Amino acid sequence: MEQELINIPMVVDMPYRFAAGCYLARFLTELRDNGKFFGIKCPNCGRVQMPPRIVCAACHVKNGEWVEISHEGTLMGFSIVHLPLTDPTTGQPHKTPYTYGIVRLDGADSFIEHFIEVEPDIAKVWVGMRVRAVLRPREQRTGDLNDIQHFAPIGEA
Amino acid sequence: MTERVAIVGVAQTRFSPKRAEVNVGEMAYEAIEQVLQETGLEIERDISNAVSCSHDIWDGQTISDIGITDVIGGHLRTEEKMAMDGATAVYYGAIGILSGEFDCTLVLAHTKMSQTNRNIVNNTAFDPLYTRMLGFDFTSAAALQARRYMSVYGISAEQVARVVMKNLGNARHNPVMHNGRDLSLDEILHAPMIADPIRSVDVAPDTDGAVALILASEERAKKISASPAWILGLGTCYDAHYLGDRDLADCMALEKASAMAYRMAEISEPRKQIDLVELGDEFSYQELLWMEGLGLCGRGEAGEMIESGFTASTGELPVNASGGLLGGVPVNVAGLNRVAEAALQVMGRSGVQIPDVDIAVAQGHSGFCGQHQCVVVLGREARSR
Amino acid sequence: MKRKVAIIGGGQTYHASRRHDVNQGEMVNEAVRAALDDAQMTMDDVDAVLLGNMEFFEGCHMTDCWLADATGAYGKPGLKITTGGTVGATEVVAGAHHVASGLFDRVLVIGFEKQEEGDSSAILSGVAHPLYGRSLAGAAVGYFAMMGASYMQAYGAREEHSAMVAVKARQNARKNPYAHLKLDITIQDVLASKMLAYPIRLMDMCPTSNGACAMILADEKTAKDRCKKPVWFRAAETAHNEQFELTWRDVTTTKPIFSRVCADKLYKKLGVENPAAFFDVFEIYEPATWAELVWYEDLGLCKRGEGFRLIEEGKTEINGAIPVNPSGGVLSTNAIGATAMLRVWEAALQIRGDAGEHQVPKDVNWALTTAYGGTNWTVMTALSKEWED
Repeated sequence: MEQELINIPMVVDMPYRFAAGCYLARFLTELRDNGKFFGIKCPNCGRVQMPPRIVCAACHVKNGEWVEISHEGTLMGFSIVHLPLTDPTTGQPHKTPYTYGIVRLDGADSFIEHFIEVEPDIAKVWVGMRVRAVLRPREQRTGDLNDIQHFAPIGEA
Repeated sequence: MTERVAIVGVAQTRFSPKRAEVNVGEMAYEAIEQVLQETGLEIERDISNAVSCSHDIWDGQTISDIGITDVIGGHLRTEEKMAMDGATAVYYGAIGILSGEFDCTLVLAHTKMSQTNRNIVNNTAFDPLYTRMLGFDFTSAAALQARRYMSVYGISAEQVARVVMKNLGNARHNPVMHNGRDLSLDEILHAPMIADPIRSVDVAPDTDGAVALILASEERAKKISASPAWILGLGTCYDAHYLGDRDLADCMALEKASAMAYRMAEISEPRKQIDLVELGDEFSYQELLWMEGLGLCGRGEAGEMIESGFTASTGELPVNASGGLLGGVPVNVAGLNRVAEAALQVMGRSGVQIPDVDIAVAQGHSGFCGQHQCVVVLGREARSR
Repeated sequence: MKRKVAIIGGGQTYHASRRHDVNQGEMVNEAVRAALDDAQMTMDDVDAVLLGNMEFFEGCHMTDCWLADATGAYGKPGLKITTGGTVGATEVVAGAHHVASGLFDRVLVIGFEKQEEGDSSAILSGVAHPLYGRSLAGAAVGYFAMMGASYMQAYGAREEHSAMVAVKARQNARKNPYAHLKLDITIQDVLASKMLAYPIRLMDMCPTSNGACAMILADEKTAKDRCKKPVWFRAAETAHNEQFELTWRDVTTTKPIFSRVCADKLYKKLGVENPAAFFDVFEIYEPATWAELVWYEDLGLCKRGEGFRLIEEGKTEINGAIPVNPSGGVLSTNAIGATAMLRVWEAALQIRGDAGEHQVPKDVNWALTTAYGGTNWTVMTALSKEWED
């Protein structure tokens, strides 16, 4: 006799309230209030890390100097996404297709990952492309990376 | 290659109900920075590897040691995370050194209980097929165990209340604890009931904090510290999971974990040979139950033992002179704090120092109703094994 | 290490996209029984049980406690490790340390994931920092897609090279009865499959599988007394990587990278100068085709930028000079908690000559395994047939 297999559906809702901490809090408030990007410099190796954080992982020393970072940078990697992946912070899928990539902002050693506002066509986007951050208007900024709407290409495609 | 491992450095953040001004990494770094400074050790030059102890669900991040890799010196180096109560991190770290692969290990435990809801997190520890939908959390499960234990052995509510009175009183003198208070038995017995017989004062409060220890092989330990705390014995054991598969008044897992640790440490008469115990009193009745599981007295005798004052800080065998978990220690950090407090006593550096602590025992547990148990025996001298 | 350690047995489940017929414990127990049978032991012979599993994937906190009966941990010492994709390998290393310490003679290590019981890609996105980038939801596909785009642009590789890796993996998997995706595919099939995130197509990506793997590690005496073909655990190295830094997606980076750093450390430990000649078989952790090409380079099997030539020339096929993933690899089976352990177990099978149809047709004395997970972490192990004194 066929045995009935039982599946138990369950949604686990986990509420969290994350503390940004000293370093990220300053980064996010500068972004929200002044539309500025900040990185932090390691006193030993000199690399400018974004987002700013307490320790340089490579040197094991406390990071020191705050450095303002440009809104312009270079696209170091990208992809055009066709799979509607779920955003874990909302439980909703992103609208596809969309382009996202990693950008090295001028002055920073870290890459920032974000949406690239460009036609989702492999001919229109490449590694090395120059891009600029487009921020949401001040009243819509909340102190989150989504305060950056996207990155847009500078100059001709 | 070494036969012996010692704790050479101990650092704890001040435990607090809510550390809103730091994130997980920054909080952990407070303890890490402190332990490195006090031992004079440097990550790249001196530390072989790092072992951290936390849970994705408490941290709110998948593979949550990602959040501390940079501060713990894990970048391009050996780092691991285990998801048990913090005492097991010492057990695991020591095994790594005894294997000969490592000679100096940084151990860390961290939890920010304030960032989430303990009832919901606890509930996910119950299996999704049979028990979870009953809405259990650790407190309600503990209430079942407390009632069972008390009724089988005739432990009274007053005897359990004495645990709260003693530990919160002790916590007042311990600089890291935040929940120290002087309460009378009457006040304790009339505190708001949460899940009978467990009242609000019977539960270790929500706390944020981190603890960092450094373990070293014998050869390294002798160079780093003049008075390390030697690890003489280690033991862990799992009990059954489903509440109905166990008699909750039993503590098989703790008895076996203790037996393993005591055999290594050559302890045959725990009550006589042990000078101090730091155990995991996540709920007050557990202090009495674990005392029996640790062999400090016979089954059902812990109530009388606490009544007699035997386990007071001024007594023959102080239990939780630190204030215990009731004094305010985060979940998961709990066992590492127990080991830290015991180590500080053996090293002679405790803020609540008991004189002449030669052998100390630390105990931690993971899972509801102490399903997994871990026992660590520490000593002032390195015995031969 | 203080004592010699051998792998004396192991087992795995038949990995699948659906295992509605078992719950997590029952699935794990299949692997545990298979390992005990293989080692000709009972649970009474086992001194400790170590489990690896990522609690968010199935939404179960403390799975080691829940599954204490299925894993055999009841009444025994043990613990749970959770380092993500590398956890299966970390378990093996932890088991080896348990045995080497002298405190335990026989240790059972288990890795598993029942991925259908959670939302895997949402949870993988949970790897990102909650306040910096998590909502972007790149998941694994995103990470490797960027790497692939970077690789093609930097070195002139083409999508066909990625397809060659996909074909090798699934054709190898057809020779492995336990593998999840046994597909009789061609390069054209891969290039015609659905684009997920440029340039990663459906067939370029690993599956999400339900499966478990278990292995038994033992001391020398047990190995010599009770095991006909012990496989010696010779060395391991781990390298983690800080959060926030996304550099591996740019393949031209000159920053020290976890995979190269770890390989260098391991080779130095063993005195290896030419890994392609020293090791007879490789089981590497390639969640996507492009990752395999980059692993060839990071492991020093070829020069930087030449990885795609290795696959083009067929060198990494089962009967090639440098066989990589004869088991079908991660591209064919990915039950996250088990996957890194499967690399070690499959390598052990190769050394024993027990890999059946997917056995590499040469004398296998040394094997290398890698793992991948977290924010670019790895654990590498080296196994050998003999212990030459």
